[in-house]
Amino acid sequence: MLKKLAAFSRKFFFLSQEEHDPVLEAEEMEALRLTFKSRYHSFKLLLAANNRILEGMGDIERALQGNESFSMSFVQTHSTAISVNVFRMINDMENIAPGKYTALKDCFVAIQKQIDALLGARKTIVDRRLVIPLAAVNSDMTDLVGGKMANLGDVKNRLQMNVPAGFGITAAAHEMFMQADGLQREIDRLFQVAGSDEDRNLDLVSSQIRQLIMAAEVPEPIYLAVVDAYSAMKAENDDQEIKMAVRSSAFGEDAENSSFAGQYRSELNVGFSQFFYYYKQVIASKYSVQAIAYKLSRGFRDEDIAMCVGCLAMVDAIAGGVIYTRNPLDSKDDAIYINSTWGLPKAVVDGNDLCDLFVVRRDDELTILKREVQPKEYHVICLEGEGCIRAATDDEIANQPSLSDEQIRELADHAVRIEQYYEMPQDIEWAIDDDGKIFILQSRPLQQMEAVLPGPELDLKRFEPSLIVDGGINASPGVACGRVFKVAKKVDILQFPEGAVLVVEQALPTWAPLVARAAAVVSEQGGFAGHLANVAREFGIPAIFGVKGAMAKMRNGDSVTVAADLGQVYLGNIGPLLEWTRPEPKLMLGSPVYESLKEVSRHIIPLHLLDPESREFAPQNCQTFHDITRFIHEKSVVEMFNFGKDHSFSERSSKQLHYRVPMNWWILNLDDGFSHEIHGKYVKLEEIASIPMLAFWEGFAAIPWDGPPAMDGKGMTSIMFRSTMNTALVAGVKSKYADRNYFMVSKNYCTLSSRLGYHFSTMEAMVSERSGENYLGFKFKGGAADFERCLGRVHFIREILERYGFRAVVNGDNLSARIEGYDMEYMIGRLKILGYLTLHTRQLDMIMGNSGLVTYYMNKLTKDIDTLLP
Amino acid sequence: MDTLRVLIVDDEDDFRETIVKRLNARKIQSEGAASGVKALEVLKDKDFDVIVLDVKMPDMDGIETLRHIKKLKPETEVIMLTGHASVEFGLKGMQLGAFDYVMKPAPLNELLDTIGQAYNKKRGLIH
Repeated sequence: MLKKLAAFSRKFFFLSQEEHDPVLEAEEMEALRLTFKSRYHSFKLLLAANNRILEGMGDIERALQGNESFSMSFVQTHSTAISVNVFRMINDMENIAPGKYTALKDCFVAIQKQIDALLGARKTIVDRRLVIPLAAVNSDMTDLVGGKMANLGDVKNRLQMNVPAGFGITAAAHEMFMQADGLQREIDRLFQVAGSDEDRNLDLVSSQIRQLIMAAEVPEPIYLAVVDAYSAMKAENDDQEIKMAVRSSAFGEDAENSSFAGQYRSELNVGFSQFFYYYKQVIASKYSVQAIAYKLSRGFRDEDIAMCVGCLAMVDAIAGGVIYTRNPLDSKDDAIYINSTWGLPKAVVDGNDLCDLFVVRRDDELTILKREVQPKEYHVICLEGEGCIRAATDDEIANQPSLSDEQIRELADHAVRIEQYYEMPQDIEWAIDDDGKIFILQSRPLQQMEAVLPGPELDLKRFEPSLIVDGGINASPGVACGRVFKVAKKVDILQFPEGAVLVVEQALPTWAPLVARAAAVVSEQGGFAGHLANVAREFGIPAIFGVKGAMAKMRNGDSVTVAADLGQVYLGNIGPLLEWTRPEPKLMLGSPVYESLKEVSRHIIPLHLLDPESREFAPQNCQTFHDITRFIHEKSVVEMFNFGKDHSFSERSSKQLHYRVPMNWWILNLDDGFSHEIHGKYVKLEEIASIPMLAFWEGFAAIPWDGPPAMDGKGMTSIMFRSTMNTALVAGVKSKYADRNYFMVSKNYCTLSSRLGYHFSTMEAMVSERSGENYLGFKFKGGAADFERCLGRVHFIREILERYGFRAVVNGDNLSARIEGYDMEYMIGRLKILGYLTLHTRQLDMIMGNSGLVTYYMNKLTKDIDTLLP
Repeated sequence: MDTLRVLIVDDEDDFRETIVKRLNARKIQSEGAASGVKALEVLKDKDFDVIVLDVKMPDMDGIETLRHIKKLKPETEVIMLTGHASVEFGLKGMQLGAFDYVMKPAPLNELLDTIGQAYNKKRGLIH
């Protein structure tokens, strides 16, 4: 097909106009259309990829301002997304101009290598240990034991705090497990069979994969390594058996803004005889429906996530909970928030009961600012055999504070020290055993938000009659409205409507998948330290917990407004509340994650190829992804232009525009540029469906031409005038000055090659609802007057174009102007301007010597244009 | 807490036996039945609070077994075990009186939560 195209170019290149018109055969026309379609398709894909890259770079630049927190996974996700799209652009470019820019691939590989080295993305695991005792773990070992265990290693070994004995089962072990018996291959196959991300049945795939994992044997080396580690623990424990907590410690889990909260398994109080059953359950939870959906939505690659597993001696806790070293809901509040309950911390995390909250000031005395003691009717305790149970709390202690003042201060002290060590706010899980000893079970970065207080103008008095909930706990700030949908069972999840207000009795992690789809969440139980609260904050979904009687008070289908910051729910849509918006969150300059992003961004963002005309503008000079992107974008537009330029066509294969009278404009429909199949010789304006062409034409035909400037060449120019505007041109009558105007159109695309007298211009436009793909290019050359005057006109036109937002460059007597990325309405306006200028700048070269007239025309033209624009 | 009695109905021996063992380790009195027919036989002599019922079984499938159970012991709560959840399936099971569903391979704590909820419903703690 490409050979054919080249043949067209040779045969029908414009310059041969003096000869009789070439005639394209029907078959050749069809080939031209097909080529156009395929290139057009590649071009659209290329632009889409270009946009995603620009968006991604925008995200990175915004992150580098340091106002928002982000995680390593943000860095990973964004650099991966950008590199995938750069690669796509290279391939699309290859389709558009085969073999022309192959050097780009080498640049890409070189840049990718540098980024990979920084991110250790596809790093093969060097340390092949399958199990590492916690006593030997530190935070440099994230790649071995996962973030959760690596952090805990620091707390134990560097901060010397009490952490239960234990070990991590490594990424190497996970790899071994998944490779054994071709498990991973089979999983990949199941994914493949299930089809694309959009249409696969997630439930089915998830179920199949997890059953596969549960049925797999744990490879013997892992088995032996775990037995060894456990035996060592047992030996330290006077040879007594130890019950374990088996917890996920996956890559990416517990990073600052990708919590994976509640998506992976952990199992408490497991006897060693059952250990491997639960190990497999944790591994399988990587493929839970929620986890798969989450990974998709957050752009994690399945193969990048190694499911490391942490095993800790079970602490039979008297009390436990979660400390936030700062207020997650208010970045200006640096007090320490201790959530606490009787028994295991699980009750706080799972959000099915109320818990105590103690707030401590960060001063030398660690002053206790607030004690909110809640009725703790249930608490979670270890069963004698295995597992744990939610048991009723004895009446006499249910309403007692679960911590003494001394314990509160001791916990606050731990919190301050851990935070100082990580130099970031932390979310810390802790437990106190029956000797009163504090154990740290987990510490991970805490995401903080900006508090938004209502301004004095917010007067809610008149809405008081519709206030249905007041005094709830703000678990995730914000305001939203939607229809109530109560969820009590898993089966309700299946029917949950997008954008509803999720109302539940308990803030269980089970509901996490619904949060992202909900407008807001209201729960009877739970506090702001639970998994579900984390997820709500992560997704920016307002949530109010601790709302007694919510299930009874709120009716399915009722429209309500949830104002989480106020702890209130109103019936109906409350306008003033919904207008209340939230500003930017906090700083994270200088954090290790920030530094990584900065390093990586050096290979992505800087732009070295600035001037397309310079000799440096070449593939081998691309040092960053931005360079490649810029280069391809520039060249792709040029290549697409060439399509219009290189492929002329005869009047016979195209239709002649009939606008009141037959015009000397010829139109080739490339795809869907006509509203229906046209059989005759003419196409009427109203039969044209090409948005850009119609816009151009509107500008062209809007204001009649005054005729040529008065001062010069009347006889000649009047011929030109007639030939363009007035044309009942008889075919075959071709003067030297005849105009040749060719449109190639599809619905959203159009090229124009126009030869008006002595000058030549091309225009290419893509205009659709997708602003990111919109662009408009215009080239203009030549004139009948002497070079000086031509140049004068070129600059004259450039000045007008620049006034209206075009980027225009003049090179010799060549003008090229471009505009891109604006919405449809704007693009249509610019096309009208081009249409107008095409008609009204003709022969203006003749007056370029006369500055008075130049000013006159400048004023007239811009005034006219202003009437064309909305 | 009174002793909660659970019947696990599934033709997959491994799965059934493991779950029964794990539940018993948690002081939940449970036993297994390897088919729908066997489950109905057991039910003639014994009462259970909650039945966990696999949808896909040879001879008599879960839905059919559910119909019989609801005729025989309407007060027993039934949790369907399924390899995939769809709205139609969910509605059908619930129309026939099932309490809820859990997806295979049914992580233990998820199954326990649902069993707990079903038990609460049976005891009239929730509606």
